Amino acid sequence: MSTRQRWATKTGLILALAGNAIGLGNFLRFPVQAAQNGGGAFMIPYFFALLVIGIPMMWIECSIGRLGGKHGHGHAAGMIALLWDHPAAKYIGALGLFIPFTIVLYYSYITSWCLAFSVFSLLGSYEGLITRSDMGAFLKGFQGVATNEHFRSLAAAYTAYLATLGLTVAVLIGGVAKGIERLAKTAIPLLFALGAVLVVRVLTLGTPDPTIPEQNVSNGLGFVWNPDFTSLGDASVWIAAAGQIFFTLSIGWGIIHTYVSYLHEDDDIALTGMATVGLNELAEVVLGGTIALTAAVAFFGIPGTEDIARGGGFDLGFQAMPVIFQQVPAGNLLGALWFALLFFGGITSAVAMAQPMIALLEESWGFSRRRAVGMLAAIMFVLTQPVIFGQRFGVLDELDYWVGAVALVIFALCEIVIFGWVFGLDRGWREIERGAAIQPPRFFRIVIKFVTPTFLAVILGWWAVTEFPAKLAMEGVVTEARPYIIGARVMILALLLGVFALVRAASSGWTALGREDSP
Amino acid sequence: MTTGGLIFMALSWAVIIGLNAFCFYRLGNDSDG
Repeated sequence: MSTRQRWATKTGLILALAGNAIGLGNFLRFPVQAAQNGGGAFMIPYFFALLVIGIPMMWIECSIGRLGGKHGHGHAAGMIALLWDHPAAKYIGALGLFIPFTIVLYYSYITSWCLAFSVFSLLGSYEGLITRSDMGAFLKGFQGVATNEHFRSLAAAYTAYLATLGLTVAVLIGGVAKGIERLAKTAIPLLFALGAVLVVRVLTLGTPDPTIPEQNVSNGLGFVWNPDFTSLGDASVWIAAAGQIFFTLSIGWGIIHTYVSYLHEDDDIALTGMATVGLNELAEVVLGGTIALTAAVAFFGIPGTEDIARGGGFDLGFQAMPVIFQQVPAGNLLGALWFALLFFGGITSAVAMAQPMIALLEESWGFSRRRAVGMLAAIMFVLTQPVIFGQRFGVLDELDYWVGAVALVIFALCEIVIFGWVFGLDRGWREIERGAAIQPPRFFRIVIKFVTPTFLAVILGWWAVTEFPAKLAMEGVVTEARPYIIGARVMILALLLGVFALVRAASSGWTALGREDSP
Repeated sequence: MTTGGLIFMALSWAVIIGLNAFCFYRLGNDSDG
């Protein structure tokens, strides 16, 4: 235990946790969700979800992580087994290894698009493509989804992916303090600086085309923020808000556990957790809520932006934004900054997703860090191939749906029930309070015990009734894509069973905390 | 942008900037290793 790695500074940990949380979702997913779910009124369920899911889950995962680190565990599998003396506990915790490892397979690939597009923007590679459909064709050619005049092969996408994977490996080999913390201390301030530049630029766009006066910045902000209170009566809006909180704070992934395990046992987690939430929200609501959709309305108008929002985050980020930046002075540079912003958000998250599995290989299998990183990178490279070559058939979306949307809610529900009901709220609360630099309000005890588990159970129940049957039956999937979707599901199952097997083999010396070990 | 939209945006920004100011003020008072 004495050889466990440690963060060099508390600020470093907070920036690393923020780096984990701040990602593509902050800039692409949030504004689309807000605009589609009631505008400003969306912030009511959003802040409600932040209060009853985001903050308590952040504290719970931080406290489990610090407790796990004290007992030599750097991954959720060992930590959940510490809280609950039951053979199933380690398999529930194994979800905290399976989820980030599966997501990083496609997330690092998407992150590499941002790197590539940043370079394309600087070089003027898509200059002259000033309609969304032209940029859409450029993106599809790059991804290998369509064959066209822009790209003859996947070479550019592959090169960007290898560069991103190489950078991820270099950071991970550096370790916690000299790799991840250094990256976070550079990338996160840069991300906020780039975001601030882009916010100022967007807010000073005015009315780009005076002949269409309704296309202006004020209407752009209104598109995101004008409240539609009737939406609050729609349950799907509340579910969407909860989903956004999960996604944006990286709750239920197993990553926070790992990062916080590198703290000392009496270090604060209450203020650390709150500061992480604060930084993430600053990036999401202030930067993410201002940049993309506001600019889109100023250039495409409300109907055009509604169409973009329906197309989702990638339409917004990779098609609409490049077209917009080509129509303003120094557009190539601004476009490069936009994609650099996304890349910094992505790479800090991708590094975080790989770390739990590295912790398992190091701690339970005795691998050196270099060997653990090398082996993991090789496996990641191989398993990302179906994502790259099967993207046109929906493989990436299938992985994202089952793992990036469903599995993490299941894991979060399990861990809060174990924390509040099995491990015990009194013991858990003492763990949250230990070393705390701020006093967490006591009403969160009721939230943790009753409100959050109920809310999560409702979300899962809602999903099981409204979406699960159609999704399972592959409704809307074209015949040609079905074998690939089935293949993606087999891949998910194989990965899950593989992680279970690793955890089972590693768990022989794991023991649960007795009552006498109560913190 | 309507007045309601402006209010929601201003309040949301104020809450988040306030939260960050509070956290980093407290962190500043805490020793950093």
